[in-house]
Amino acid sequence: MIVFRYRKTDGAEFISHLDTLRHLNKTFVRAGILVKKSAGFHPHPLVYMSSPIGVGLVSYAEYCSVDTDVSPDEFKKLFNEFSPRGIKCERAFYTVKNVNLAAVINRAEYEIFGVNEFEPQDVLGRKEFFITDKRGNEKEVRNKIYSIAKEKRDCPRGSGEAYLKVLIEAGNNALRPDCFAEKLVSLYGGSHVSIIKRKAFVAEEDVDDYLSEQE
Amino acid sequence: MDKLNLNEILSSVEKPARYIGGEFNEKTPFDGKFNYCICFPDVYEVGMSNLGIKIVCEAIDSVDGAYTDRCFAPWPDFGEKLKENDIPLYALGNRKPLKTFDMLGFSLQYEMSYTNVLYMLDLAGIPLKSAERGEEYPIIQAGGPCACNPEPMADFIDIFTIGDGEENMKALAELKLEVKSKDEFLRRAAEEIDGVYVPALMEVYYNDDGTIKGFSSFKKIKKAICRDLAHAVFPKRFLVPNIEAVFDRGVIEVMRGCYRGCRFCQAGFIYRPVRERDADASVETAKSLIRMSGFDELSLNSLSTGDYSRLKELIPKLREALPDVNLALPSLRLDSFEGDFVQETRKSSITFAPEAGTQRLRDVINKDVTEREIISGVTQAFEQGYTSVKLYFMLGLPTETDDDLHGIRDIVFKIRDIYAVRPKALKNLRVSVSVSTFIPKPFTPFQWEKQATKKEVEEKINLLKKDLFVKGVNFSWNNYELSEMEAVFARGDRRTGAVIEEAYKSGCIFDGWTSFFDANVEKWYAAFEKTGVNKDFYTREWGENEILPWDFIDMCVEKSFLLKERHAAYGEKVTGSCQTSCKGCGLQKIYCPKFEQHKTKKLNNA
Repeated sequence: MIVFRYRKTDGAEFISHLDTLRHLNKTFVRAGILVKKSAGFHPHPLVYMSSPIGVGLVSYAEYCSVDTDVSPDEFKKLFNEFSPRGIKCERAFYTVKNVNLAAVINRAEYEIFGVNEFEPQDVLGRKEFFITDKRGNEKEVRNKIYSIAKEKRDCPRGSGEAYLKVLIEAGNNALRPDCFAEKLVSLYGGSHVSIIKRKAFVAEEDVDDYLSEQE
Repeated sequence: MDKLNLNEILSSVEKPARYIGGEFNEKTPFDGKFNYCICFPDVYEVGMSNLGIKIVCEAIDSVDGAYTDRCFAPWPDFGEKLKENDIPLYALGNRKPLKTFDMLGFSLQYEMSYTNVLYMLDLAGIPLKSAERGEEYPIIQAGGPCACNPEPMADFIDIFTIGDGEENMKALAELKLEVKSKDEFLRRAAEEIDGVYVPALMEVYYNDDGTIKGFSSFKKIKKAICRDLAHAVFPKRFLVPNIEAVFDRGVIEVMRGCYRGCRFCQAGFIYRPVRERDADASVETAKSLIRMSGFDELSLNSLSTGDYSRLKELIPKLREALPDVNLALPSLRLDSFEGDFVQETRKSSITFAPEAGTQRLRDVINKDVTEREIISGVTQAFEQGYTSVKLYFMLGLPTETDDDLHGIRDIVFKIRDIYAVRPKALKNLRVSVSVSTFIPKPFTPFQWEKQATKKEVEEKINLLKKDLFVKGVNFSWNNYELSEMEAVFARGDRRTGAVIEEAYKSGCIFDGWTSFFDANVEKWYAAFEKTGVNKDFYTREWGENEILPWDFIDMCVEKSFLLKERHAAYGEKVTGSCQTSCKGCGLQKIYCPKFEQHKTKKLNNA
């Protein structure tokens, strides 16, 4: 079984999780990557994805495991030749079978642009931090925020613009980065917010390292 | 276009992947010498399933220097955001405003999409009426099945293409590359290319009673016919939709036209003559299509796939060439339902369309399906494990009586009886009966018929409700008002264009969607009131000697044949299929491969 890390950029960030799965399966067919199927009356391809990312969030750290005999190097080459614009494999590698990506990946690092400058300690120093989720419910999420750092780098809006690098809970009990950013805007001001997912972690270990160790 | 602003808008709307383009198999955008954007006046998922627009783009792409792109009607949430932010509607491939293209081509698939044509023009910042558009605006073209009566849209469209698009769309592109001036292009296209109609070049005269007195043009517009379908363009790679389309599968067209001639069916007449594609070529097309798209299902499309003469040869070849791909045969007639033909995907429900409840009425409409065939089809379906049957019928057909409606109940009861004697059925049988109101359509033998009134249809539905109030039977019917509007615009003349414009301006869009139409039905009635157009004028019975709004178009099926068929309907006579013998519709004088076959057979026999 191999795991591959892929990005969703160039418009593909607007493709939903289920549609992304459809695209992955179609890409395998086009590329001639033979995916093993489950046994039983209705066999389905053995393809497992990490937890869904919100529609509209650019990501460089989505993961998917596939049961196939194609080598990782060949897989990456074929996948990128036959995948849609914006869904591209960054790295593929062997791992143990049946890794439950949705369960093990529990942290993610995001870059958040467009929030006015504030002192991270103002958030990290609180005992409670409430956000409003997509259903309009207030939720306390302080223990899902691990770090916030102020950075400056070239970005789509021009060089030198400030952005936040945040490490927050991902996976089954994720803190949605867009809801978090909305709350920050409501507290400190800002506009034209954009979010990029850069990395994913298993506790404090990068997913690539964690899964490669299992080889 | 400000990308950041657009991305923010996309983040706030439903299914934003409808508006991003970048589908797999998309061509790299370039500035062509002729830039054409196909516009589908419905939402992305519906439009991306349409085969016709893919064929049109393929035809234009075959011209050197031509570039094609695509655009679909934005769902109202996105449409409103575009307006609020002053972003003109754009093509999905190159993201350029529609206004910058040389030609926009609308696909008219159903009458209730007409307001969406105006909606898309409006969002693109293009004046709605042809007369208000100068050289600086793209030429607005329209084609598709509804273009066979183009008159309701005559005020808005510069040029209609009627008939098959393979050759005349290519010819249009070549002419546009040669001629720059809009007026000259329109005039020459009308003169030189088959199936081209330019409304501005023709006037319509009316009698005092509102009927048509005549047309200013002496020359009939003859529909374009693609004679060599085997070698005609056909897309070998489909754009793979970003989101799940209505039909998320590959499609090959095995046959165009239909041999049967059901008297209510417009497609059965306007797509004549029947032309079959070569089975081996279809296999090659299918292989390429699946390899380049990754679909796991392939549909063999035509109006009646069971009539395709090489189906028994094609299916095993496809199964061998594409073992992991499910085959779908969506248009099987009851009498062509055989074990080998049915969908191989394991489904529990099968759909049949007897259309009428009694043999008498099926003879009237020339459906040419007997009760024995219905029973045999259903029996075979049960033997293969189907546990649910969907049945489609029409209400308000010419000569229909209460006995014909009771006949629907009789069919349902017979189906239940067949299922009841089956040994150890695992599930209870479910029967769904769906009825729709008959809509008289141009270029059919029923083009002169009256549409049933609301009161008549309500009475018929009440009768069926009583008949079908049975356990395990689900009865549904469609919205009368929607059918009524469809009937008006199907047989509408130029004056009905004002109603479409008024309805659009009062907020009617996506009228083919019941939820939108139900909310807007009063606006439609108000639009008739305000424009002084009497809708009942268009749903009445038309005189056989009356000039019809579409009489200036030559669909190659003679009016005298349609009239003969109408009289045969009232005589309850079945004409039958062209497969057995030529019925003399008129195509035999122009081009009909089946007629040639009959002729050769006769000569050989002699």
